[in-house]
This record gives sequence, C-alpha cells and structure tokens, in this order.
Amino acid sequence: MLTVYGLFLVSGLAVGSLYALGGVGLVILRRSTGVLNFAYGAIAAASAMVAWQVADWGLAGPVAWISAIVTGVVLSVAYGRLIAPSLAWREPAVKAIATLGYMLILLGLIGLLWEDALRKIELPTDKAAVTIAGVRITVTRLLAFGASIAAVIGMIFYLDRTRTGLHMRALADNRDHAALLGIPVTKVESLAWGISGGLAGFTGLLFGSLVRLEPAVITFMVIPAIAAAICGKLSSLQLTLLGGLAIGVIEAMMTLYKPLAPLRTMTPFIVAGLAILWMQRGQRLTFATET
Amino acid sequence: MKFSATLFAGAATLCLATTIGSSAAADGHAPSCGLNTGEAATGEPITVGGINGNAPPGDFSGGTDAAAAYFACVNANGGINGRPINYLVENDQWNPELAGQVATKLVKDEGVVALVGNGSVVEMAVNARLYADEGVMAMASGCAISECYESANIVSTNQGPLPSGIGALKYAVEELGTEHAICIGFNIPNNGGWACGWMENYMASKGKVGTSILMDPTAVDLNSVYLQALTEGADTILLMLPAAPAIGLLKVAEEQGGRDLFKWVSPTPLYDPGVADILGDYWADNLYINIELAQFDSAGADNQNWIKVMDAYGQADDRRDTFSQSGYVSAKFFVDALLALDPSTIDRDSVTAAIKGIVGAESDLLCDPYYVGDADRHMPNHSGRMVKFTGTGFEMVRDCYDIDTEYLEPILAQEAALGLR
Repeated sequence: MLTVYGLFLVSGLAVGSLYALGGVGLVILRRSTGVLNFAYGAIAAASAMVAWQVADWGLAGPVAWISAIVTGVVLSVAYGRLIAPSLAWREPAVKAIATLGYMLILLGLIGLLWEDALRKIELPTDKAAVTIAGVRITVTRLLAFGASIAAVIGMIFYLDRTRTGLHMRALADNRDHAALLGIPVTKVESLAWGISGGLAGFTGLLFGSLVRLEPAVITFMVIPAIAAAICGKLSSLQLTLLGGLAIGVIEAMMTLYKPLAPLRTMTPFIVAGLAILWMQRGQRLTFATET
Repeated sequence: MKFSATLFAGAATLCLATTIGSSAAADGHAPSCGLNTGEAATGEPITVGGINGNAPPGDFSGGTDAAAAYFACVNANGGINGRPINYLVENDQWNPELAGQVATKLVKDEGVVALVGNGSVVEMAVNARLYADEGVMAMASGCAISECYESANIVSTNQGPLPSGIGALKYAVEELGTEHAICIGFNIPNNGGWACGWMENYMASKGKVGTSILMDPTAVDLNSVYLQALTEGADTILLMLPAAPAIGLLKVAEEQGGRDLFKWVSPTPLYDPGVADILGDYWADNLYINIELAQFDSAGADNQNWIKVMDAYGQADDRRDTFSQSGYVSAKFFVDALLALDPSTIDRDSVTAAIKGIVGAESDLLCDPYYVGDADRHMPNHSGRMVKFTGTGFEMVRDCYDIDTEYLEPILAQEAALGLR
C-alpha cells in the first residue's frame, strides 16, 4: 500500500511542479506590474506549438526548445508593451480581465495556424529514468520538479539581491512613487513580462512533453496555476510553490478514493478557496488591494 | 476543412473538380460518382446541410469534408438527375448554443432537405428534437453520444464508442484471455458513462469483471488515471477516449513500463494515420484497435473510390480518417436515394421518406448492409474489424464480426422486421 501512495505522491508532485512553475511565473508578473495574467496558459500553449513546429521542420532539438522560451518571452512582452500600459492605471480586476481577451486571441490564433492533429514533443530526458522506491520517474519529471524549485530560489535571490529586483519590488510597492524616484518603469515592467513569458514557454514545453500537446489543455493549465498563486497570496513565491505541489498531490491522491476520482479537477478551486478563506480572516479581499 | 464550407468553396471545388475530373477520366483514374455523366449539373440546386464540430479539443470535420468532396464529384457528373447539390456546412465549435443556432439556420432559414455528414459531440444532443419536429433527417458520420443512436431522425454511418469499444473487448476476451477490464472514458454526459456502463454489462454477461474510470476531459494528470487503473488489479485496459488523451495515457503507461502489465485495446479513435508516428515501436504488437469501417488501404471498390474522390475533389487539408470514410458512405447512400426520386418533386418530405426507405444498401467499407427504416433509434453499423498496431501501421487480425451486447436488441429486432436478418 505504501508503494501505491508513493506512486501517487510522485505522480502528483510531477504535475504539481508544473502548476507551481506556472504559479511562480504569474506571481513574478503580478508583483512587478499588478497584472494577474490569465493568458499565461495560452502563451505556454503557443510556445509548445512553436517548439513542435520547429522540431517538425527538422531543426535540432535545442533550437526547438529555445524557440519555445523565445516565443513565450515575445508573446508576453508584446502584451506588456502594447496593451498593458494603457491599462496601467486601472484597477487590478480590469487588468486581469483584459488578459482573458488576450488568452482568447492567442487560442484562436493557435487554432487558425495548427490543424487539430496528433502531435507530441519528445525531450531527450523522456527516455531516461530513475527508480525510487519502486516508482519509475523519468528525468523530464525530475526536471519539472527541479525547475520549479530552482525558479523559486532563483527569483527570490534575483528580487532580493539585484538592482532590477529592487526596482521590481519598488514598483510592486507603489508604481507612482517608483516612477517619481526615477525607476525606469517601462524597462522594469518589460523585464518582468519577459521573465514571466520565458517561464511560460518553458512550462509549455514541459507540459507538452509530460502531459499532452493539446493547446486547449495547456491553455487552461492557467487555472491550477492561478490557484497555486492564490495560495501564495499572489505575492509569496515560496507559498506558491507549496500551493502548486499541494494541488498536484491532492489531485493525484483523490484518484485513490473512487467516489471523488471523477471530481479531481475541482482540486485547484477547493484548495484556492480554502486558502482564500484562511488568508482573509477578517481582512479585505485579495483583489481589493494593489498587492 | 479549417473553415466551414461555403457556397464559394463549393463553387471553387466544382470548378476545380470539373477540370481535375475530366483529366482524371482521361487517364482512367476518375472516381465514380452519381450518374457518372462527366457533365456538370446546371439545374436548380438542392440545398443540403452539414454540421461539424471543429474546435479544441477535437476536429470532427472529416465527415462533412468527405461529403463535400463527394457532392462536388456528383455535381460534376450530372448531379441529381441534372440538379446540383448546394452543400452548406456549419461548425458548432463544440458549443451547444452555437450548435442549436447553426442547425436552426440550416433547417429553418435555408430549408435544407436533409443533413449529411454531421460529426460532433454536442450537435446531436441539442438538435435531435428540432430534426424530429421539422421532419428532416440527419445522415450523420461522426457520432459519439447516445442521442445520436437513440433518435428517430438521426442515423449515423459510424458506430460510436459503445459497439466499437465492446467489439474491442470481445476480441480481448476471446483472443487475449481478458478476465477483468478497465474502461477509461470521459466524464461527458451520454458519452463515457454510457459506453463504459454498457461495457460493464457486457463483461458481466460473459461472467467477467468490468470497471469504469471516468475522467474529466480537461484532466491534466493522466499519470494518476493510469495509476488508478493499476490499483484496480485489472488485466486489460480499454481506452474509450478520443485519440489525443488515449495517446497521453499510453505515454504515461510507457513511462511506467506498463505495456506488459495489461492487454491494451481501443475503439476506433486510435485508428488514425498519424498514430504510428506518435506511438513508435514500444507499442508494436501490444495494442489492438476495433475499426468501425474498412482499413484505409483496403482494396475494396468503395474504399478505393473514397480515395479517388478525396484526391480529385477534396481539399488539401481534409482529414483522411474513419470519419471521412463514414462521410463518403453517408453522402453516397444519400445521393443513391435521391437519384431514385423524380427530380422535380424533391423536397424535404420526399427526401425524408427516401432516406427512411433505404434498406440493404451495400458498401465494402461496412461489414453489414446499411439501412434506415422508420424507427425511434438507428444503428445500422454495429459490426467491426480488429487491427493490431505494428509500430509502423496496422495489421488486420480479425475481419468483420458481430458485437454481442444487449444494447443492440432493439436494433436487431428492427433488422429482423426489415428482412435483413
């Protein structure tokens, strides 16, 4: 029985890592720009599809993987530079809803560019595996897990120790004051959009390999990612990581209890709901504040 | 087709087809369509509709694509006794509200005499009542839900998941030694639960065990679905799913070294030209698929004609899958039924009566004669073939065989009444 739990734990951690990675990308952006990016999953999906296309053209694997990250950066920065500034002074809910429009545009474009067909992304790490306590874990799953932790540690370090990180934190505290202090708002925000987009591209690539290369499925991965980010109050990277992993593990464990198994996809909503209830004890709602 | 076929597309196809058709006829490779006169029909058009569902998470446009190609070929060959078919195709985009809107547009505004080639997961559930109320028949090609097979005015050429899945299991029980099978399906109303529920009944009728695992279509964690199957202690997995999630499950099973832990069987969706490139050698000789129509490369005259029609009159991006074969068959039988009518009297009532009058139409793409009749449900195609995945393609392991499930009892009674059994 322990082996069974181990199987599900590993499985949940692998998918939870992807949620956490998504959540981290969302939180980085939210902390710097005040935007909760619902288009994050669509950016990941477009990146995965571009990677597949580049590989399908016969270009080398690394070129395809890099193209995913570049696509993520480009699509994210495009929104950050072209659309986001005109909404900079609007309330957070409006900023968030605007990204829903971008999500639909991207999803429509993906549907226009790529016929619905069976596709897969193969990473060299798919075939290599290690066995831990009887559970076979591919290196791609380890990579997803390691990347989510590395992203959190890296970003914490970046925000704490670098000048740009300081600017980002200043922006997060108060955009107007930061601008008055001479912080290059546009440059710093573009960087945040770029980092977030790069993470989206990377997440999309892993998702396409680990789960399946279906743009709609990857697009709506943003829901558990947002749930993970909510666990981190849209600001704490560590709690977002834990939230993502918890959602993944709870979702996997629910399969062990048959009556709940078909309802597993409710997990992100339940976890996020409970997290909000816990965090809002006697406070204002999450979306009512800038940070 | 990526966008709904329109009159413009139809006209363009017709112009192209006329050119291609005549050159094809010259080298002896011309498809056979309708009256085969080689002359374009110029009379008053007969308006026919078609609805497909083409949006994430799946493209069900193969049936309407093939019907459009066949109708273009018929129009280039004398039409329906001189009258061309004006084929209007709409896409429901998997959206029930839109499915209702486009059906109303076709049936009430355009006044179509019938619908042909429909393929969707939502359209039939939404519109079955409309078709019955308006007295219009839908000769569908790509059905996956119970309403498609349990409505008076819808008849589909494809089997859908229930017979095809049970057909796959029948083979597994008889040839692979299956004792306990797990049916993994989508938690979609009248789809996964319907098909997997009847699969459980089938297994019980054989003194064996059937278990269902229903997953949300958007479920990300397929690994846990596979692990759930692993904990059930079954010996066989039936993938009652569309191709993409089925392949996702096979992938996680491969990761866990699951090929040899189970016998793997599937209904038709995994019989897809693109599957071999995706699955590779790991699954060779370990994956058995029930197919609802003939193999894509079968030498049968009708299958060869389907290929010729698609080559000459189809679009470059048309899918060449089971739904396409199915759409071709629906369109062919529809045209044959209309050709028996006086062209000046063709209207919805006469076409509906002609479709209901189809009994014993034959095609090498199907195992049994096709029929419609006047009944409250239709499932003319419920016998299948079994193929094995070879790593590079598919190899037939069992030719046409009956599928024995209690679900078919009213269908078999219909066939007996029509003198087909």
